Amino acid sequence: MSVSVGPQAAGGNAATPTAAIGTTVAAVTVLTGWGHGIGALPADATRAAAGRAVIPLGRPTLEGDRFRRATRECLLGVAAVDALLRENDVSRDAVRGSSTALIYVTGGAYGASNQAFVVAESVRPASVGAGSARPGLTEGGLSEKRAGSVAGPLHFPYTAPSAMAGEVAIEFGLTGPYGILIGGAAATIDALWQATRLLAGGRCERALVLAVETFEECADLYARGRWLVRRPLVEAAACALLVPGALHARYDAPRAPSALETLARARAGETLACAPLIALALARDGGATASIGVTGEWRGRRAGLYWRQ
Amino acid sequence: MPGVTRLRAEPISLVAAGAVTPLGADLDAFWSGLVTGSDGISMIERFPVDDLRVGRGGEIKKLRPLPGGRRAGCRATQLLLAAAEDLLARAVVSAEPERVAVVLGTALGGVEQLERALAPGGRPRHAVGALYDSPAHALARRLGARGPVLTVGTACAAGATALGIGADLLRGDAADVVIAGGYDALCRFVMRGFDALRSLTRERVRPFDRRRSGLLLGEAAALVLMTRDGAMSGPKLGRLLGHASASDGSHIAAPDPNGRGLEFAVRAALDEAELTPADVDFVSAHGTGTPLNDRIEAEVLRRALGRRASEIPVNSIKAALGHTMGAAAALEAIMCLLASREGVVPYTLGLEEPDPACDLDHVVGSPRAARPRISLSTSLGFGGCNAALVLEAAES
Repeated sequence: MSVSVGPQAAGGNAATPTAAIGTTVAAVTVLTGWGHGIGALPADATRAAAGRAVIPLGRPTLEGDRFRRATRECLLGVAAVDALLRENDVSRDAVRGSSTALIYVTGGAYGASNQAFVVAESVRPASVGAGSARPGLTEGGLSEKRAGSVAGPLHFPYTAPSAMAGEVAIEFGLTGPYGILIGGAAATIDALWQATRLLAGGRCERALVLAVETFEECADLYARGRWLVRRPLVEAAACALLVPGALHARYDAPRAPSALETLARARAGETLACAPLIALALARDGGATASIGVTGEWRGRRAGLYWRQ
Repeated sequence: MPGVTRLRAEPISLVAAGAVTPLGADLDAFWSGLVTGSDGISMIERFPVDDLRVGRGGEIKKLRPLPGGRRAGCRATQLLLAAAEDLLARAVVSAEPERVAVVLGTALGGVEQLERALAPGGRPRHAVGALYDSPAHALARRLGARGPVLTVGTACAAGATALGIGADLLRGDAADVVIAGGYDALCRFVMRGFDALRSLTRERVRPFDRRRSGLLLGEAAALVLMTRDGAMSGPKLGRLLGHASASDGSHIAAPDPNGRGLEFAVRAALDEAELTPADVDFVSAHGTGTPLNDRIEAEVLRRALGRRASEIPVNSIKAALGHTMGAAAALEAIMCLLASREGVVPYTLGLEEPDPACDLDHVVGSPRAARPRISLSTSLGFGGCNAALVLEAAES
């Protein structure tokens, strides 16, 4: 499939000074613990998980020395955008620069880096400083193996969720409008809406909405919040490319899940912020282009975005 | 920005604000502390720091108890709820709960709870509290807000981005009232991280000074009540005319050497406000006091504002508070509007010998009598995050 991402491809809409600029979801790419693309999703994620709590997604192998220190979450974000561009014949030059917006969403993909940073301190030798001992956090309760997976204090910048979006921006030369939202599927609806606002306001020519979720390193922590996240937890990275187009988006707060939300959860499992993008991919796979409605729920709040002509 | 035609954004009213900072328990203490040159930096007492190179910061020593003896959960939530009490003492949130949104910026969220969750015997509620968006949901519950609840994670630029997204929610009719702002609590996690990066100074914080040697961290929460222009009668703080964010695409932990992202954000925010550098009366700079940030920021301001750069007063309030991370940009936006209302611009504490490489019209030594109508506020953060706000004073 080939996608055009310049303003000409949108019939010149990007240069029209009117609030009536619509949007189109030009492309969506999905990587999950089940495999690459929605074709890899099982019909029933719960059954396919066969009791496993987490369906992991491997660490992508990316060329370049600068990825040596990057976390798995960062690499998954880069891999998702790279796959989106390659699968849709969009060159990196076409998105490089300040005309492409990047909005990154995650519910908990910073968890692994944060946990590693905390654990790294708790298992360090006592000789580092007598004053470093903190009440309640001792060596005994934490595994050396887990601590050994971290890079040390200079790992700190990677504890920020902005590191993941930052790595993507560096890799693809994105210097345009930039947003990072933290939350589950509802936050991705917010991000998609933000992208439509940026496009409608002429603040960018195209927008990438990227979501990454990893769970494996924090499986113990997620196991404690059973009321917040369902099973199986499926690691995922997904990216949508939005461009000016003919569809107009309405942002809403529906009480009930859309059919797409239900379908995405049934087939993919719990993917938190990636779920609405998986739903979009399923809709496109089903031929829905003129009318799409996606919803997402997190912590009792459900948001919806409805594209209509 | 070739190929991009912008729309003028509808101005958004900033009706009232609330804050808790190292300078005091409310907005009045924040403002009077800035004007009188108070120093909110002290030795950190709430957690161990004696193994760190630097153990000072802008720590809030005492929080007022919440009404009714309510418990607030983690430190970050405590700060947010304290700021909310201050805000609610100044303004009434009058909208249907479903039409009230909460948009908060943070660099750390509830991360201090992660340390508790990972400790032996850590409890499930600590694990959930460790999520970045837990404090925002706690604030929404306190306010009875049932509209959108968004947590913005653009690191130390998040407070500005939160105000910008809040404005977009109002412009897009997704809410009638938005409580927006930012927060972050000082904790060992972040102190240890910045200490390891050698970003913290052992000396005084000196933004734009030739002797500047680094930043100190602080904790705070700052909130503003936002509505569509004209939706609420009575006095207001001012208006948000423009906002923009941009990525550097350069480095994870350092600003772009050429300040490309910040320059884009400044120009785009002015563009959205349909203003030019000639309209700007005051700049609230990010001004962390690190050698790199201040030089790059000064260069960006000189490029973006052109000849006007040497005529526009510039300040930084980070020496007084420490770098309050997610709260910083919201506090600085509030400071801009208070400066307009009170007719005085706070000076940059710690700046005594301006660095020629940071040549701007710095407010040095004492507050400056001025009543800026249009203010520009700039912010940067880890991950190459940049944001700019253009604010207008309330009509007198």
